[in-house]
Amino acid sequence: MALDEYDIDATELLETYDFLMKYIIIGEAGTGKSCLLHHFTHNAFKDHSQHTIGVEFSSRTVKLGEKRIKLQLWDTAGQERFRSVTRSYYRGAAGVILVYDITNRDSFLNMSQWLTDARALASPHLVAVLVGNKSDREDDREVEWAEASRWAAENDVHFLEASSLTGDNIEAPFLLAARSILLSIESGILDPEKAGSGVSYGDRALRRVTSSSHLSFGSLSGARRRRPDKLRLKGWVPSGKCC
Amino acid sequence: MSVPARSPIPSSLYSPSRNAGTPVSAPQTRNPITIRLRKILGTNFTDEATTEALQTLSELYGTQSPVSVSDSKARTAEDPDSDDDWSDENANTRLAVRDHREGLNETASRVRKNLRRDLEDKLAQGSQQFLQAFSEVDQTLDDLQKHVAAMRIACDEAETQLRLSSEASQSLLDRAESLRSEREGVETRKSIVMLFLNRFTLSNEESEAITSREIAIGPRFFEAMNKAERIRNDCRVLMTGEDGPTKVGLDIMASTSSYLEQGYEKIYRWCSFEFRQMGRDVQLEVGSTMRQAISRLSQRPELLSEALAFLTQTRQTALLSAFLDALTRGGPSGLPRPIELHAHDPIRYLGDMLAWVHQAIAAECEFLESLFGLGGLEDEGRARRMVGAVRTFEGSEEEGWVKELLNSAVTKLCVPLKVRVQQTVRSQESSIVSYKVANLLQYYMLTMRRTIGDDALLSTTLSEITEVSYKVFFDAIEAQGRALLRILLDPDDPSLTPPLPILEHAQLLREIMHVYDSSVLDETASEPGQSFNRILDVMLDPAMDMCAAAADEKTRHRPQWDQAVFVLNCWCYLQSVLEAFEFTSEKRRTIQEKIDGRVRLLEDEHYENILRDASLYDTVAIINSKSPSDPLSHLLPAQQLQPTLARFSLWLSSPEVVHSPRLSALSSPSLHSTIHRVCLIRVAKSYAKLCEEVRKSENRYEAASTLLGMERPFGQVGVLWAIFGLEEEGEESTVD
Repeated sequence: MALDEYDIDATELLETYDFLMKYIIIGEAGTGKSCLLHHFTHNAFKDHSQHTIGVEFSSRTVKLGEKRIKLQLWDTAGQERFRSVTRSYYRGAAGVILVYDITNRDSFLNMSQWLTDARALASPHLVAVLVGNKSDREDDREVEWAEASRWAAENDVHFLEASSLTGDNIEAPFLLAARSILLSIESGILDPEKAGSGVSYGDRALRRVTSSSHLSFGSLSGARRRRPDKLRLKGWVPSGKCC
Repeated sequence: MSVPARSPIPSSLYSPSRNAGTPVSAPQTRNPITIRLRKILGTNFTDEATTEALQTLSELYGTQSPVSVSDSKARTAEDPDSDDDWSDENANTRLAVRDHREGLNETASRVRKNLRRDLEDKLAQGSQQFLQAFSEVDQTLDDLQKHVAAMRIACDEAETQLRLSSEASQSLLDRAESLRSEREGVETRKSIVMLFLNRFTLSNEESEAITSREIAIGPRFFEAMNKAERIRNDCRVLMTGEDGPTKVGLDIMASTSSYLEQGYEKIYRWCSFEFRQMGRDVQLEVGSTMRQAISRLSQRPELLSEALAFLTQTRQTALLSAFLDALTRGGPSGLPRPIELHAHDPIRYLGDMLAWVHQAIAAECEFLESLFGLGGLEDEGRARRMVGAVRTFEGSEEEGWVKELLNSAVTKLCVPLKVRVQQTVRSQESSIVSYKVANLLQYYMLTMRRTIGDDALLSTTLSEITEVSYKVFFDAIEAQGRALLRILLDPDDPSLTPPLPILEHAQLLREIMHVYDSSVLDETASEPGQSFNRILDVMLDPAMDMCAAAADEKTRHRPQWDQAVFVLNCWCYLQSVLEAFEFTSEKRRTIQEKIDGRVRLLEDEHYENILRDASLYDTVAIINSKSPSDPLSHLLPAQQLQPTLARFSLWLSSPEVVHSPRLSALSSPSLHSTIHRVCLIRVAKSYAKLCEEVRKSENRYEAASTLLGMERPFGQVGVLWAIFGLEEEGEESTVD
């Protein structure tokens, strides 16, 4: 499940992009949402992380196939007292990263509630990725991989485990969600031109649209066909999902 | 060829021929002659050449006059030295004789005599001919000589001419040389001028790129602008080096500045146009051309601010319409639902609105930062700021712009937001909801302050709204407090527990405290609970006053109703409500002080009651009020003291000693036992003092110990302590 299988090039920032996607990161307090995000945007572990107050924002541009995607990431506070505030940020999110702590069973059991909330409040085609964080602490594991994977399949969400300490699998959830959203756009389920979908075209894509009037995703699909063995999607994609 | 050389020529011509004919120098060398002789002797005269010679000779003499023959013979005789010739001639002659023997003998002899002379004649004749011929030659040579002389003169003349002309052309050559060097100089100057022009003027293409409307803003344009800038800088440097500004310098400055102005003008027009287009989307991004254009235009702040005014305008409109869309229309096909759909749920309604604004600001901020080339560049240097984190404006020009633009972009959102928030706030009946709303607003106010600065219009609007909502909340709870004060207690209700209005009020307070406890506000900075004290004051002070005042009122009608216990019960209850929350400690302390005051009053009251119940009241009063000079036995005779002690002994057996029925009405058992214990201690001390006084000799009691020993506790204070179930305090301290 190494990251380089995605052929990503995430070094560039603030460049033109094809799509802009809004993600929210939710989950119980202390599951490492902010650290996960920090590692994703800064490529380093965040020491001495405090509880998030309300919501925090960051962004990063990633490259998926030939598409450049700008991610607007809203990191939410997990504490109950912020629930009323954070819920307001679910509106119009295209993707949600559900984070639980593999060493804390309660944080996993509450996932259903979080997912229900997110589905109720966010965009109707919300793409969800379940992330079991702190995978580096195998000794303290309380949630088995298989169990979480089963839950993910039942609830139609992607699943993987990551570690915001070591950076293992740190980019995969974001890219996985981005890819699912792109596929939704390709199949016409999502229309980035409409407000509130959580996705919008960037300058690059707009230029392409106006010049050719047909949006081609050949590169993305083609790349996947060419290298089916390289993308070991072992359990990431629940049955019945794309791929 | 010189004239004097003329005469020797014939003699020299003659001389060799003579030598050839007659070898004169023969005797000098013997040997060669011998060799020669032998050779001649060996010679066969039959060879063709000899024959021919003889033939010629004979022909000569065949027609020759005898004179000539004798001449040649005489000559032969005169030259005896020439043996060879002689023998040759002899041989020849012999041959000729042999051939012409028959008739020519005479001729032959004549020949022998005259050969020499003939030959000499012949030679003279020939020489004569030579002379003649040579004189002709001489003549000709003379002519030639003349010609040569003439030529020479001519050549000299020509040479002079040449020299003259060469002298004459020298100046021309010099001139040409100087011209050539001049040309070189001019060439050099030309190339210098060209270089200068290249360096200090814009080419046609470049000036076209700057001025023409046809050529779009792009790398070529920026290149030309760069050059113009560079020219100005170079020129400025050069001009400072000169004595004063040169004309060319001034010209260059003037022309480049006009180009630059046109360039900035062009950027301004382009930016203005682009900015007007930027209205459509909520999300924006910035191309590198735009970023560069903006960074250049910042050289002309007045143009930049004009261009940015357009941007502000379009962004304001775009954000406002997007906001109104989100409020009333929602997302595509109604999902996510419009925010106003939840207007009945104030927290969600306001939260959604403010969250929308917050998110819009985040996107706008990213857009503006990339427009001014901030953000991305910071990546390496310092960690990227998250929106939640405190924004520090470091005072750079770009950041100032970003701040200002951000401020003005969201300005138009303030009015609809404010109207809706105020409407919602004012329509709230529940003070809990009001409080929650105020809390939420305060949270967003702080968030926005961090994001767009304290003095941004949105921040001030939010703080206004927050103030309003807090005011609404405080108005509500103050009104509640006032209403509470008007409440009277039911005079027929004998209970001493807190009345229903107090319970309800406490419940409300509890909820408010819950909200505060789970508040979204970051309280780590200030003293915890600091901001909540005012709420506690407003909530609790009227409640406590009400209890005391209403109890006073009730006591007026029902004197036997235990007011003190009631007030203590109410206050303790209110205090207990606060106990669950740490941040109320300060208020709890003040309540405790009030309670303590009341407790002391109750203690005094209770102590008196106990003394009365134990029939010691009068006795103690006498002891305390007597003057030291009077013996106690005069004031309190033993007969009077004895029944008192008996009644006290009786009281000691009653259950009231360990348990006061009055205090049991106190809701706090610990308060009950504390107060009772304190009173019992005072009773014990009073008894101890009584015993002491009785035993004193100056009080003149007869058989004092008998008097005390008749009834329990037999004058022994320790026994009394034991009966009261108290630890005996130090004897010293018991002596009052």
